[in-house]
Formats: sequence, structure tokens, C-alpha cells
Amino acid sequence: MRGHLHIIGVGSPFGDDRLGWVAVETLQGSAALAALGGGSLSFSILDRPGTLLLAHWHDADNVLVVDAVRSGAPPGTCHRLEPGELSAFESISSHGFGLASALELARALNDLPPHLVIYGIEIDPSGAGCSLSEPVRRSLPWLIQEIEREARVFAPPGVH
Amino acid sequence: MAERRDISIQVPVLARVEGQGALELRIHNGVIEDLKLRIFEPPRMFEKLLEGRDYSEVPDIVARICGICPAAYQMSAVQAIEALFGVEPGPSVRAMRRVLYCGEWIQSHSLHIHMLAAPDFLGHAGVVQMARDHAAEVRRGLRLQALGNDIIRLFGGRSVHPVGVRVGGFHGAPAAVDVRSLREQLRAALPEAEALVCWTASLDLPESGQEFTSVALRHPEEYPMNRGRVVSDGMLDISIDQFETHFTEQQVPHSTALHCLLDGRPYLVGPLARLNLNRDRLPAPVRAVLDGTGMRFPCHNMNYSIVARAVEIYFAVHEALRLLEAYRGLESPFVDVQPRAGTGFGCTEAPRGTLWHRYDVARDGGIVRARIVPPTSQNQARIEADLRQALQAFGLEHEDAVLRQRGEMVIRNYDPCISCATHFINLRVRRS
Repeated sequence: MRGHLHIIGVGSPFGDDRLGWVAVETLQGSAALAALGGGSLSFSILDRPGTLLLAHWHDADNVLVVDAVRSGAPPGTCHRLEPGELSAFESISSHGFGLASALELARALNDLPPHLVIYGIEIDPSGAGCSLSEPVRRSLPWLIQEIEREARVFAPPGVH
Repeated sequence: MAERRDISIQVPVLARVEGQGALELRIHNGVIEDLKLRIFEPPRMFEKLLEGRDYSEVPDIVARICGICPAAYQMSAVQAIEALFGVEPGPSVRAMRRVLYCGEWIQSHSLHIHMLAAPDFLGHAGVVQMARDHAAEVRRGLRLQALGNDIIRLFGGRSVHPVGVRVGGFHGAPAAVDVRSLREQLRAALPEAEALVCWTASLDLPESGQEFTSVALRHPEEYPMNRGRVVSDGMLDISIDQFETHFTEQQVPHSTALHCLLDGRPYLVGPLARLNLNRDRLPAPVRAVLDGTGMRFPCHNMNYSIVARAVEIYFAVHEALRLLEAYRGLESPFVDVQPRAGTGFGCTEAPRGTLWHRYDVARDGGIVRARIVPPTSQNQARIEADLRQALQAFGLEHEDAVLRQRGEMVIRNYDPCISCATHFINLRVRRS
């Protein structure tokens, strides 16, 4: 659908892996996004969808995926990635079909949305429990602002 | 004439296999001198973690053992504890647990067929490459996998580590409107699942024949899932509480997963073993489609496991639809239970094979001791025996990379879940 933006938070209940969930929950309450009009926006919060991520585009032309990132950068580092920037070198197993593999599969099936961007924050791999680490929590407002800014480009007010 | 040299091949990381492991191969004078499926996935101590926990916590704890077959762990656990407490949740709860199990078989088998196994038989490095030539089949696989997840979510609250199962039944009954919607999805999936059986049977599956013993549950009327006796194609026919008298687990130095043997010998569990022993328990429409492929079971070609998985998907779609068409709600989603001291046994058929549990419980319902024998630990010795025969028959003169690919293919036929069993793969070959 032209002008429709779908925002997907990917994660799990554990530590910084919650990032995608927390970010999308925050965006669901965002006044800036509400101003774009409810008809042009939708959200999904997914627990490690693996290959089934593809089923969640909902035919949207514009998709933002928010996920925790581990690249070796310092915890709290913010990332904005195009699909081609994700490393395809990712082991595939029945249990560990990650975001990069899912996007590669979508590309092979010609199912990638025309506009897809991945936002993430470098996590603290030593983090435990059910809450975000301090470096990730500090970077979250920046991530939200960046997504709100990009959402206005993807789904400008009045375009439904 | 094949070159006879001394070779050592080591595959340090096994692809498209779950967990941390490696394959080591030492070849001397053209003969395999040593072969080890080395598993170094750290032990996860789940059995120890359960000690001291209340019986009511067991279903949610054991669901964490595996992200692909959590319901199987829950089913074996509640069966064991309910048997000990003398609880019978009733036919409707039992039927809905079977539907939940159908969901797990559908999603797990579909994932393995399309994402892991089929690329081997179509000459592709992986599903991404395969998807470019076989997009319709991959899309069909994704739809079936999603259907399986939807079933699990209906009964488990969520598809990853579901939380709907409790000792005595379910925490809640699914809403009629959701069941109606799922029935429609299942009806739509029937022709897709039938086509999947025919597609897997049309693949160019390498010929192979090995002697091995198949072990699975067997039930007087049902294709086995969550009830039955443990049987083999030999003399074995025992109740689940006799498991420990015939099946023994042993440590091997090269694996953090125990090797389980039947009367001292390797054996097979899983879809091919189940089908070998229970083809006559398939509903007539499913059996007719299988017979229409021209394939004959029992079968001792492990490459046909992909067909067995497809048959079980078709069966599970059929079975879930049958049970949900009869669904009139649950009078009570669960029955109350009173703890009782003693030992309970549970045994159900996880997607990867027979999953046996034993719980020693104190009078207050606390777990004193738990023992869990997952399918992959039961298949480990068989995988090593298969690798020896398959690689020798394939030809050890092949280059290391080719041997490695063939070795991984052999292993993948078993869909091993090393995370569950370690309690996997890198190839290391030494040719001397």
C-alpha cells in the first residue's frame, strides 16, 4: 500500500533483546506518529519470528524494523541499516534464522518491501534479566526521534 | 580405482544444524578409522534446575528447553505428573492437546523440509538460493509453518515457549471464533499439504539402505503422538514406565550429550521410524496419498525422512481439522490436582522423535529428581553409524569439501537438535 508504513519490533523478553519491543511500544504512544494519521501506520511486536518475518509486511510499501544489534561497537551505539548492509553470513538452523537471513529469503522470493530500513542499538551482550541496560536505555530517545523523522518521510500526513 | 590415502577431515562448524558440534573423520588406507560426532554445546542442567521446583512450574520450565518443540516437552511432562497424581483431564482436553501437538509437528517439519533439508536434494547451498528457483514451494512451506505457529498460539498464548499448558489441562479454553478461523485455515491447507507430500516424493533422493532398528510409540487406534506403548521393529513392546530397563544413556568422551542405546545398540527415533512402525495408523486419505507416491514403507533409506515429515504434516493438518470440527468448547479447561509422592513417567512423540520424561515427586508436589531423554540423544549413536556407512559407500576419495557436504546431509536427515540434547557442526577430517 502506497504511503503505508509498518513498524516491526523484533525481540525477546530477555535483557537488551527487548529493545525492538520497547521501541515499538514507545512509538505506539508517539504524538508525532499519531499526527500522521492512524490509517497510514501499523505496528507489530514479534518474538523471534525467523522465517515468518516475511508474513508481517502486510503489503506495506514502507517497513521499519527495530531490532537489537551486535556488531562489536560499544553498547548504546545507534544503527540505521539498509537491507544490503546486513551481513548475509549468518548460520541458518531451525532455531536460529535471524533477521539477515529472513531479509535474504524475502529478496530471493521478491517479497522485500520497496522501502525497508532497519534501526537498532548496539546491545550489551553481558546484560541479563528483563530490562534494558543503561547504555541502551540512554540511546533509546535518539532512536525514537530518528524513526519519527523517517516515518514523516515514508508516510507523510494526508497520504493514506 | 579410488585413491587410497590417509586422510583426516575436520568439519569445525556444521551448517543448517541446530547447536554447537563438529564432525571428525580419520581415514587410513581408504577406510574410516575413526568417526566422531563431537558435541560441545554446554550442558544446560535442566534436570537439575527442576529439582526443588513445584510440580506446577514444570510445564513452563521444560518449555524453555527448546524453541521449536516446547509443546512436546510440556506434553511429556504433564503426562508424567498427571499419571502419578491419578488425574485424567478428560477427552476434550486430551483432544486439544493433540491439536496443539499437531501445530508443533506442522511448524517444525515444515521448517526443516524447506529451510534445511530440501536444498540438499535440489543442489542448492541453502534456502535463499533454492527460493530463486522454487519460490512457490518455499512460499507454501512458509504458509504451512505459519499455520503450525497459529495453532500453537491458539492453545499456548504465544508460539515461542507457549504458556497455555498446565498440569490438569489448559489455563484457558480457546474462543469459538478463533477455532472457527483456524478450521478455515486448516481446510485451505489440506491440498497444500497433500501437494507437499507429492513434491518431496518427486525429489531426486539418493538411494541408500542400512540396517537399523526403528523405535516409536504405538497406539491401538491413533497415529502416535501423545499416548502409546514404546515399540520397535524388533521384539520391543513395552509400557513407558519400563523404558529404563531397555534404554540406557551413557557418556562418551567426545560429546556433552549422552548416547542412548536400546539393549546396547543404536536405534532410530523420529518421523521415519514412526512411519515405519505406524503406517497402518494413518487415516485412509493420508495413506492413500502416501501409497500414490509409489514409495513403500517400512523404509531404511534415511534420505526418505523428508517424505516422512511431509506425510506427518499432511496427517497433522488432517487430524487437527478432525479434532477441531468436533470441538464444542471445554467444559472446564482443567481439573484440580492433588500432589502425591511417587514416580511418574511421560512419553510422547516430539517432531524429532520419542521424548521420555521421569519425575520423582515429594508428597508436597516438589520435584525430587527429573530425567529427560530427548530424541537427539537417542539418535546420536545411529547418526555416527549412518555416517560411517554412508561416507564409506559415497567414496572417501572425494575432496574434503564434498565429504563434508555429504556428511552434513546425512546428519541433517535426523534434524538433530543439539541444544535440546545437551546437553553441533564443524567437519574435521584427518587422512593419514
